[in-house]
Amino acid sequence: MARNKRCKPSLNHICPICCILPPHMSDQIVLNGDSTQKEWALQSIRASEQFRERRAIVGALNFNVAIAGEKRRTIFDAGTGTDLPGKRVRGEGDPPTGDVMVDEAYDGSGATYDFFYDIFERNSIDSFGMRLDSTVHFDQKYDNAFWNGSQMVYGDGDGELFNRFTISIDIIGHELTHGVTQHEAGLVYKGQPGALNESMSDVFGSLIKQRTLNQTAEEADWLIGAGLLTDKVDGTALRSMKAPGTAYDDKVLGKDPQPADMSKIYTGKADNGGVHINSGIPNRAFYLAASEMGGYAWEKAGKIWYIALTDRLRSQSNFKRAANTTVTIAGELYGRDSDEKKAVQNAWKTVGVI
Amino acid sequence: MRVTFERSGGFAGLIVTTSVDTATLPATETEQLQHLVQSANFFGLPAEIPAAPQPDRFQYEITIEDGNQHHTVRVGEASVPESLRPLLNWCMEKARRG
Ligand SMILES: [Zn+2]
Repeated sequence: MARNKRCKPSLNHICPICCILPPHMSDQIVLNGDSTQKEWALQSIRASEQFRERRAIVGALNFNVAIAGEKRRTIFDAGTGTDLPGKRVRGEGDPPTGDVMVDEAYDGSGATYDFFYDIFERNSIDSFGMRLDSTVHFDQKYDNAFWNGSQMVYGDGDGELFNRFTISIDIIGHELTHGVTQHEAGLVYKGQPGALNESMSDVFGSLIKQRTLNQTAEEADWLIGAGLLTDKVDGTALRSMKAPGTAYDDKVLGKDPQPADMSKIYTGKADNGGVHINSGIPNRAFYLAASEMGGYAWEKAGKIWYIALTDRLRSQSNFKRAANTTVTIAGELYGRDSDEKKAVQNAWKTVGVI
Repeated sequence: MRVTFERSGGFAGLIVTTSVDTATLPATETEQLQHLVQSANFFGLPAEIPAAPQPDRFQYEITIEDGNQHHTVRVGEASVPESLRPLLNWCMEKARRG
């Protein structure tokens, strides 16, 4: 079967139909179809690389399948296998199951939905009420969590080095934000755009945790994955946005490789060009900007970064582009000579990007 | 035969590496490794197995030198061929045990 070049091959196993539905046809179904047909066509459009542009053409109103503010969470259990999504174990409104991963995935995706809706009036990952599907107990002793293009997936961890990957709400926020990025800036997952993609996930993951705990920038720990490492590991978390490179230093895991500024940027090929390594640089820029502004980090710094992610950045944007863009947005929102604009400028200067 | 293995990426972004020289392996393990390399058709695999990268998936790079053969394969977790998976698991197990 010929594969439409707009489609992401990774979605094939979730929705084989989406990759044979031509874009103009799915647009028509969104405009004129019934709700089931719309849902189906939306799935196709979400798989399209031109999502942001096509959404504008079809028009926001016609996209609304789900009611704004209403979450649609489903949790699946892979039973230590690798078939996705797995067996459905909890739907929206169902009571807790008693399986801690199922319930953490449910609560964490709920907190993430609420964050984006309450703070930015964003209705789910695609901004049009997309379902939030999560699979837990993926694979055996799987030391990872990921976003596969249409859902979140969490491993149990090996128990030696890593605990379960639902343990920290910022990990759940991180994975869902990958979905937001995919539908907005579409930052390619390689090199500096990839590190920005990673950083956006850490930024909003951390903000979701901070809002859940009602913490100001000063009170927050700015850690990613706190609680994920077992007691046997010398480390507090996987990454520190405040002090990249200091999250762990362990005989088995090694030392946290994140650079805190451009002088130590990683230039190797591993990790798609160090997307989880160099994210330390924009992560720290966000921390510095938010701290200089003070108060709740999601109110001002978070808003600036959100506008950059959803309106201004493009798939190939690098650190410098992100720096200039966020400085510009700060000026637009708070004034050309505002403290907020200066805070963003100072932050990117401190990490050596501008 | 020399095998150099690296797993990078994943949510944690850890870089796990190991290298194995069959000159220092017990005969049974050497046999096992040779069998895994053969059934993966390792030297027939492309250097770069293309895939749309999925956020936070692992990335593998494996290099094998055997006599006059020398080959490196880079592949993302989501597109690992079934035939290659046992060799990657074997290397990962080696890396874990140090
Ligand atoms: Zn990520």
